[in-house]
Amino acid sequence: MCGIAGILFKHMDIDRDTGKALIDMLDGCQHRGPDSTGFALYGDDHPGQIKMRFYVGTGNEAGDAIGRLREVFAEQGAELVEDEQIGSAYRAVVKFSGDLQKFSYAVEHAAKVMSIGESLEIVKDIGTAHDVDDGYDIHHFRGTHGLGHVRLATESDVKPEAGHPFWATGFSDVAIVHNGQITNYWKMRRRLERRGFEFVTDNDSELIAVYLADKMSQGIPLKEALRTSIDDMDGTFSFLVSTKDEIGYAKDHLAAKPMIMFENDDLIAIASEEVSLNRLFPGKALDTREPPPGSYNTWSRST
Amino acid sequence: MVTIDLSQVSVREGNEQIRAAGAAGHDIEVLNPDARHHIGVGLIHPVKVTVRGSAGYFCAGLSDKANFIVERNVGWGLGDNMYNGSVVVGGNAGAIAGVAIRGAEIVVKGNVGSRAGQVMKKGTLLCAGNANFMAGYMMYGGRIIILGDSGERLGEDMSGGEIFLGGPLNSLGSDAMLTDTEQAEIDDIRAFLDRYEIPFKGSFQKVVNAGKKLRYGTSETPVRSIPFFTFSGQSDYWNQKVQEDVYIKSQIGRYRVRGYGGARAVPHLTDIAFRKDITAASIGDDPVGDVEMKTLIGGLHGAKPLTLTMPVMIAPMSYGALSRSAKQAIAIASGMAGIAENTGEGGMSDAQRDAAKQLIFQMLGGRLGWNIHDMNRADGLEIYISQGAKPGFGGQLMAKKVTKELAEIRGIPAGIDLRSPSRHPDILGADDLVIKIEELREATGYRLPVSVKLGAGRIRDDIKIAVKDGFDFVELDGMQGSTGAGGAEVMEYVGIPTLSAICEAERALASIGRRQDIEIVLMGGIRDGVDAVKGLALGADAIALGTSAIIAGGCIACMQCHVGQCVTGIATQDPEHEKRYKAKVEAQHIYTFLESVRWQIAAITKALGHKDVKQLSRDDLVALTPEAAEITGLPYEPDRRNVDLFQAAG
Repeated sequence: MCGIAGILFKHMDIDRDTGKALIDMLDGCQHRGPDSTGFALYGDDHPGQIKMRFYVGTGNEAGDAIGRLREVFAEQGAELVEDEQIGSAYRAVVKFSGDLQKFSYAVEHAAKVMSIGESLEIVKDIGTAHDVDDGYDIHHFRGTHGLGHVRLATESDVKPEAGHPFWATGFSDVAIVHNGQITNYWKMRRRLERRGFEFVTDNDSELIAVYLADKMSQGIPLKEALRTSIDDMDGTFSFLVSTKDEIGYAKDHLAAKPMIMFENDDLIAIASEEVSLNRLFPGKALDTREPPPGSYNTWSRST
Repeated sequence: MVTIDLSQVSVREGNEQIRAAGAAGHDIEVLNPDARHHIGVGLIHPVKVTVRGSAGYFCAGLSDKANFIVERNVGWGLGDNMYNGSVVVGGNAGAIAGVAIRGAEIVVKGNVGSRAGQVMKKGTLLCAGNANFMAGYMMYGGRIIILGDSGERLGEDMSGGEIFLGGPLNSLGSDAMLTDTEQAEIDDIRAFLDRYEIPFKGSFQKVVNAGKKLRYGTSETPVRSIPFFTFSGQSDYWNQKVQEDVYIKSQIGRYRVRGYGGARAVPHLTDIAFRKDITAASIGDDPVGDVEMKTLIGGLHGAKPLTLTMPVMIAPMSYGALSRSAKQAIAIASGMAGIAENTGEGGMSDAQRDAAKQLIFQMLGGRLGWNIHDMNRADGLEIYISQGAKPGFGGQLMAKKVTKELAEIRGIPAGIDLRSPSRHPDILGADDLVIKIEELREATGYRLPVSVKLGAGRIRDDIKIAVKDGFDFVELDGMQGSTGAGGAEVMEYVGIPTLSAICEAERALASIGRRQDIEIVLMGGIRDGVDAVKGLALGADAIALGTSAIIAGGCIACMQCHVGQCVTGIATQDPEHEKRYKAKVEAQHIYTFLESVRWQIAAITKALGHKDVKQLSRDDLVALTPEAAEITGLPYEPDRRNVDLFQAAG
């Protein structure tokens, strides 16, 4: 029920038009999901600081949520560096050096967390890529890499927090966008819950994010975690994952969900449809590749 | 040469210009395609189209006679359903290249994505690079040539056709096998390669259908059929029907197949009633003259709507399940009554097209009989997702019913055991579906309503997808709907009742505030004008009749539709049996029945105090059983169980 996109600029240069590139790519495949649009953006980071984004709504509801969050920050020993309310989101930068997983579960009880990370910020809301850009100024975002997603919702309200990208609840800087469905969702989720992980939605994309982040926290490289995910997850899926320095994809054995990629010396871009990739290079025919069924790969900034 | 720059005009405008140039006999050059979808769809003239770059989904789809060149890559569904003509792609193709082609030559110089040539009927698909997962999946005929790797599961569930593999074989699909090549075949492939200037000197392996999965091991023991009323009766536990089932299963070792609809009692329109008493006085002398019944369906998004003289249509039933004569009779009757007929699966016959004044053309996953020329002469296009009798299942038509004429219209070899897929090659989610709908609209210039046939299952989600993807109307089919052949247990136990289907659909659309953006045609066990009014009052914009129309036209309800030896000549392709069917006589019977439906709808609508069928609402209804009250949310009034509608009206 959706379209996905991801881009990574390979060199260490932080100052790239990541936001604008993702807007263009998502606008190209907006027909795949007109209800909501989301971005996972990786910008500059400052040692010891983490960026947090919450869905707080508007009006009094927002004021209450922000009040609760500030209390939790204080309780958890997080020192507020800066914060602002943007649209229905609240963005806070804090100095924090404790257990991030515990901290994230604590703030989740105060307001809906959209992302936590040293460089990751997730922005998602109702509407098209351009609507979300109008509300959150995505096109000025400079960074190294990011993911994007357009969604067609079947639940009654099109809720911003049910949109993608999903943050891997409890794990810094891990985000995912996913097209498809995981059919052994509850089995996989119970397996992870028994080990103490909390899930904040019933969305299968959050499961993939937590699954991968859990593997990585055990020291398993992202690429290896993607390999095992293809065997562990049942269903039809094409997904993109990003960490602070990497971007990766996995595609199921049935190849029912589309994915196509373009790579040159400067960047790797992956999307549901070539029309999104072509938006980055108007008027040029691209030498693209379709990843085979059951395949996976990663790219990192340093190579 | 006409040049079209897609950085300057939209694809819709571009396609209009392409078709106009084609009609005038000019070749066409497309600049800045930038992987946009639907380039060249619906072109039916013998001109050359050169796409300078990459194209998106369904490039050259639903076309005939034209020759396309795409300089770089194409997305999913290259040359979808293409008749004659050709496409040469310089780069790679996405999934389902050459899907459902009916004679075209498709050449991909790079690699192809998964399921290349799915449900293709005729023509050649050449992949000069590597193929991918399940190339030749469910193909019915034609030829696939792969010069590189085969990919996994080559020829999965193919029914006919041939696959020639020049590279290594990764693995064979289910029901596919290797066989020897003949020199003439190889010579023909070499000539084809030369014609498209593709150098290849290697040898070929050939893959064909192994014929292991198409037939049941043991057929059902012929028995004298149990009449429908006994069959559906709520009699003793180990009744005659249960005993017969056990006996037959003891012979064949599998589920039984039969025709007709579910017989199990489930909450239905009979469990709701009208709030007001209906008396002769309240009906008056001329209810049909007093009540406005004209109904337009399908015009919400700018297409030319179907114009119905009453809110009734004929439910989709295929030429294949039914004989040509039976379909002709229904078409004639629909025209006389001023309502719309539907082709069902399996294509449009000239006799049906000529007789029906308004005809919806249905597209199923096998794309049997689906083609641009019949699309152009249809009054509506319909994407079948599932049906109420057996949601989620595909059909089978045994070789006996696959006659030469039927095979021709469906575009398949005569005499094969025909598998109808349960899903579409290019609709694997709401996201693909939206691109498919757009393809149908682009190919026919946005003139025709596009509807979806949904068997009631997960209606709350499905109907939201239908409205968000922009369908003009939905044909919503409950589990009481009938079919020509289905697993007996599936018909009784899979799906949800018609009553639940309409109520869930209404609630789901109300919850997202989109009821006004789609129209609903309700079907599934609607027997007469009384049921019809209840369906309309529950929210349907129109209802459709299938089983009652064929009973009116002579069906004896023996439930043996699947056998192909229908004694009335309705559900058969055997000319000896069909001879018994007098299409013109039965057309008159069906028409007379439809007029009785018209009178009942008008009479009840008027008796309920309305001047227009559109004024019918839930306020006109009550529920007679606790189950029906729970499902519909109507007030529970068990006292009205004893009011006989017709007695009161008589």
